[in-house]
Amino acid sequence: MLMQKELLKSFVDMDEAEAVRIARELVETEGGAVAVLDTCKEAMEEVGRLFEAGEYFLSELIAAGDMFNQIMEFTLPKLQGGEVASIGTMVLGTVLGDVHNIGKDIFKVMAEASGINVIDIGIDVPHEKFVEAIKEHKPEIVGMSCLITLGVDSMKRTIEVIEEAGLRDDIKIIIGGGRVSQAVMEHVGADAWADDAARGVRLSKELLG
Amino acid sequence: MVSPEAKKLAEERAARMQAALDLKEPDRVPFTGLGGDVIPAYAGITSYEYEFDFEKNRQAAVKWFTDFPSDSAPRVGLGGLDNQSMGVAFQDYPEIVSGVNSVNGPMNDVLKMKFVRFPGRELDENSARQFIGGKNMEPEEYDQLIADPVKFCFEVIMPRISGGLKDLGSPASLATMARFGLEKARQDAEMAKTMQALMELGYYFAPRGVCLAPLDLISDQLRDIPNLILDLRRYPDKVKAAAEALVEPMVKMGTMSIKAGAKECFIPLHLNEYLSPKQYNEFYWPTLKEVILKLVEAGMKVQVFFEGWHDAHLETILELPAGWGTAYFEKTDVRKAKKLLQGHTCIMGGIDVSDIISLTPAQLDENIKKLFDEMAPGGGFIFSPNIGTCPRETPIENVRAVYEAVEKYGKY
Ligand code: B12
Repeated sequence: MLMQKELLKSFVDMDEAEAVRIARELVETEGGAVAVLDTCKEAMEEVGRLFEAGEYFLSELIAAGDMFNQIMEFTLPKLQGGEVASIGTMVLGTVLGDVHNIGKDIFKVMAEASGINVIDIGIDVPHEKFVEAIKEHKPEIVGMSCLITLGVDSMKRTIEVIEEAGLRDDIKIIIGGGRVSQAVMEHVGADAWADDAARGVRLSKELLG
Repeated sequence: MVSPEAKKLAEERAARMQAALDLKEPDRVPFTGLGGDVIPAYAGITSYEYEFDFEKNRQAAVKWFTDFPSDSAPRVGLGGLDNQSMGVAFQDYPEIVSGVNSVNGPMNDVLKMKFVRFPGRELDENSARQFIGGKNMEPEEYDQLIADPVKFCFEVIMPRISGGLKDLGSPASLATMARFGLEKARQDAEMAKTMQALMELGYYFAPRGVCLAPLDLISDQLRDIPNLILDLRRYPDKVKAAAEALVEPMVKMGTMSIKAGAKECFIPLHLNEYLSPKQYNEFYWPTLKEVILKLVEAGMKVQVFFEGWHDAHLETILELPAGWGTAYFEKTDVRKAKKLLQGHTCIMGGIDVSDIISLTPAQLDENIKKLFDEMAPGGGFIFSPNIGTCPRETPIENVRAVYEAVEKYGKY
């Protein structure tokens, strides 16, 4: 318990060396892998809260995401099947014509930390690739990231193509990134929008019901 | 031939912009105009043609700037992608810098930069060009960068980022530079024709300098953003020293075009939105501020593009001397900025390109009316889209609505 508290504190305080050290130690104890996973999820959630409150900035989200990934790299292999509960699946990609991935990657780590199973299909993703991924992974949610204005039309077309494939009713669509807004959401026909990751995670959970 | 009417129009437009820069009320709210991929779309040509063929580019620009007149010398010519580390490498040779600092399609056919993609080459003919960035430097190399940034950019970075120059001194690299010279001469002549065509329409051209915030040069061109963010925590002293080492090269890049008549220098910011105020004030602002102050000392006005949300750092702008230049905002509300900066800084921005794509003409009209009601009084305001590029699919009726609203409500 004490170690978990220390891990939480050093993680949220962005003390990378200390957080990784404690996690490495904790993961070797009985039930340690689950404890590390849960604590890191909680820490990511707290970092997200601080970001939404304006106390933390993108710099902290990136550093926290990096810490989370570092720790998961040695923690996940130690978990038994069934120990990682998922609350739903999301196919996530940056839309065609857009190569920005920093925001998408931040959102991805935070969504994963909140228990969503994220299938990342990359950047500059063609419309058909979204359709194929939906068929293959049967997600409840599709997330699209869009940082350039050109991407607005890409999202619109991607959603049309998903519709034409008869898959639109099976999924909820959330859009994110610097170029999205209420107006853009309505224009492209998505179900939710967020231009910050913490809000995006909250809305995704709501969409999962 | 530039007619007397065109000349007069150009003078009026220049004076309108200048009045705003001088923090006064012009006769009308100056408007930079809209641009980007919508220009070739409007002319019925592909983005590939627009980015590679000077003649078609020129025709498309003439059509656009005839039908949609605006106040600033528009960004015409082939669009380029930022390549400032190579500019630093050649900083003692201004005639080379102006060709490598920003790389356009045909120039990239010569230099073969690793981090760019163009329509009709790596991309579909109607895609927008892409700067894909990437990591070109390891953390162990900070010391070399600090010791001699120019040498480092030339000897270490350039061979990594330019396919044509990967083997410095080889026949292939010498041939690349010779071809670069031929292409540069051709482009200069073509650009002169394009500027002439636009001057005939009543536009004016003033050269301007461009440079980056020292820390942005490191994150955009050398380490990439996520790595730089981690470096701030892992190697804080090295990052600071590297940014300091880049102040002089950035000032040199910015002031280089003064000889050609430049009175303004443009600095687009990237990392600002990522950093907490503490990091901003420790790692980013001191060297950026130094660059701005030196440009002002050299007699230039500076236009800083505060990309993303700049709200957390807004007050630092007041540390600059009044009349230093223009703060161009992307997401930060220009109204909020005006409350703080009126009488000190010219403010530019005001309409979100996402809105131009998604709203109706009536909504755009109303938004612009409201914006001008608040922003115009007192002057020192330039109306501009929050980012430079409207995509091909931008509805033309919305574009028209924006220009009509400026016409209707822009009068002082
Ligand atoms: C970093 C950056 C780059 C980097 C990208 C590095 C990378 N690997 O991602 C590089 C240098 C490569 C780059 C390239 C280009 N860029 Co750029 N870039 C930026 C910059 C400075 C920051 C973007 C960013 O990462 N923001 C931070 C992230 C974390 O924010 P975010 O994406 O909004 O993400 C947050 C939320 O939105 C949310 N989120 C993100 N995705 C999702 C998804 C879902 C489903 C949800 C729910 C939430 C969510 O979570 C994140 C955390 O809160 C912006 C300016 C700015 N400040 O916005 C320009 C900007 C986006 N770029 C721009 C341009 C024009 C380009 C280029 C075209 C430049 C050029 N001429 O080549 C190219 C390439 C483009 C292309 N085709 O994609 C323009 C876009 C203009 C336009 N037309 O819309 C901008 C706005 C700059 C500007 N003001 O002109 N760029």
